[in-house]
Amino acid sequence: MMRMFDTLVGRTILVSLIAISLMHIVSLWSYEAALRHELSAADETRLVERLVLIRQGLVIVPPEKRDEVAHRLSGGPIKVHWSPTEKAVAGGAGTELWTGLPRRLREQIPELGAGDIIIGGEGSQQDGDPHVALISLRLPDATWINVSLFAYAGSPAGSHGYLLSTTLMALGVVVLSVVIAGWLTRPIRKMANAVRALKPGDDAVKIPEGGPREVRDLAVAFNEMQTRISRLIEERTRALAAVSHDLRTPLTRVKLRLEDLGHTETATAIAADLGELELMIDATLSYLRGEENAEAVRPIDLAALLRTLVDDATDMGGDVTLSGPRALVVHGRHISLKRAFANLIQNAVKYGVRARVTIASEPASAVIRIDDDGPGIPADKLETVFEPFVRLETSRNRETGGVGLGLTIAKAAIMADGGQLDLANRPEGGLSVIVRLPRSSGTVG
Amino acid sequence: MLVMVDPIETSVPSTLTESGGHVLVVDDDGQIRHLVAKFLRENGHRVTVARDGREMRQALADAPIDLIVLDVMLPGTNGFDLCRELRKTSTKPVIMLTARGSDTDRIVGLEIGADDYLAKPFNPRELLARVNAVLRRSRTAPEQGAGALGHFLYFEKWTLDIQRRELTNPEGVVVDLSTGEYDLLLSFLEAPQRVLTREQLLDAAKHRIATGFDRAIDVQVSRLRRKIDASEDGQAVIKTIRGTGYLFVPAVTRS
Repeated sequence: MMRMFDTLVGRTILVSLIAISLMHIVSLWSYEAALRHELSAADETRLVERLVLIRQGLVIVPPEKRDEVAHRLSGGPIKVHWSPTEKAVAGGAGTELWTGLPRRLREQIPELGAGDIIIGGEGSQQDGDPHVALISLRLPDATWINVSLFAYAGSPAGSHGYLLSTTLMALGVVVLSVVIAGWLTRPIRKMANAVRALKPGDDAVKIPEGGPREVRDLAVAFNEMQTRISRLIEERTRALAAVSHDLRTPLTRVKLRLEDLGHTETATAIAADLGELELMIDATLSYLRGEENAEAVRPIDLAALLRTLVDDATDMGGDVTLSGPRALVVHGRHISLKRAFANLIQNAVKYGVRARVTIASEPASAVIRIDDDGPGIPADKLETVFEPFVRLETSRNRETGGVGLGLTIAKAAIMADGGQLDLANRPEGGLSVIVRLPRSSGTVG
Repeated sequence: MLVMVDPIETSVPSTLTESGGHVLVVDDDGQIRHLVAKFLRENGHRVTVARDGREMRQALADAPIDLIVLDVMLPGTNGFDLCRELRKTSTKPVIMLTARGSDTDRIVGLEIGADDYLAKPFNPRELLARVNAVLRRSRTAPEQGAGALGHFLYFEKWTLDIQRRELTNPEGVVVDLSTGEYDLLLSFLEAPQRVLTREQLLDAAKHRIATGFDRAIDVQVSRLRRKIDASEDGQAVIKTIRGTGYLFVPAVTRS
């Protein structure tokens, strides 16, 4: 229920419904009160006139005929009786309607004294019908006219109208609120959709600055923020790229100078360090370049690619095996896929002692599985390892170098080619990297 | 040839590498100019150096240059523009030194006419191998020049793109090669239907790998076979000549 009022439309409906219904009820009530007052005033006048007539009639009639005449004067809500004593008991239910009556009666019949008019219920106050009032008037010969009358209750038809009009009003309010709120919030919804459609880093695309002024302001502010963010990212990227770039000249020099050292143990060690440094720079740069991968998607023999990587890893002293079909074609970007699988195989060799690469061909996809015999990855870290520059804080990583981009780059490359990269700890120990790449759709070359 | 450091470093020109050429090294970093020149001289080449486009034009006017090693990041006119400018009048072989990745894409994409490219920081031996290979190619087709020669070698509907360093099979599928396999295949394609000894093949390939190249050439050949024989029907592309070496059977065309 509360969720209904979570939207601007819902809130508009709620507020207008409460406000308008309240106003409607108050105005109806005050109108009705005024109407009732009018009605009772008119009733009183009529009653006074009738009482005056009844009294005048009965006064001139001899006492033995009075009761009969009194009966004949009855009619409508009024019943008239004549009796030698008064019947009414002052006060009681139903009398409050007739508080102005004695004053007006006395205006018409000046000889009526203070005790000559009794307004009250019939008999005791407790069990009297609240709708029946009894008025006793004293005649000049000390006998009494007793007029019993039904008090008018409010018209029952009135309460029906009350409910109907309120309901109709409420319905109208709901419909109008939906329309108005819809109209007011449409620019906001449009803006939300526009913002959602933006791609990160795509600073050329701005959201349209239209709609009411408040929404326009918001759009302008949003676009300014976007410009600031992309400028910030651009500056950072450029700075990092420049640093990595500038490292190349000294690195080239060191490599050239190494030639003079010959194949000493030191030279070999320095060469290995340089290689690591270069890999780190390459990884950082290719991560920073990110989206702007200009490589074309082409059919690639995945089996040959993995064969190369496995052979290379074996030559470097790694314990790596490959099994699966001799050829398996997928569509993808050659260099970036090669880098991705190189990272995955390197990781398996580095952290997992040995790597077993298996290729399987499914109807829709090629499934590449890289199993290692390492400690695996704690279950709660299985997602975070894909984040850039994240490295697991375990001892096994300390001597292995790297900047924590291998998996990030691998995942990005594989996803760019429509694939999927999953990590799982095998129950028997070790990590399993499972890559799915869509098979070529039959159109080759 | 000038200094005997150790046996591997001494480059004995084989029938494939032939003798050194006159190389013009264009780089704005004085130390790199000096170090590259020294390294290439030690490996049998004559070297002239230039720091920018102006000096490069001067050097080209002064002496017959066989090959230009051209850095992309140069003050004034950059390497790309210099290469394009050179191509208007000359087919002289050019090896570009690039920033890894981004510039490489530009070279391959823009058809600026470089014969090969190498990303900085490069391995000196890799540079030497590229220099030798490009010189070799330009000599097999004299006056045409490697730049105008095109970058494609064909055999049995397979294609080797020398610029992209990429092999595609008859179906147009990219078949990945390791550096060693690529070098070996290139050696075969440059001397097809000729018996090549293990020593010749090893000599052509060994410059590529700085350290740890201790794999026998036979292993490389068997790896290469596994990749290019995959779609062949029985007939071996690379024949073993018992006791001597290997023979690349198919005819090779280039464009």
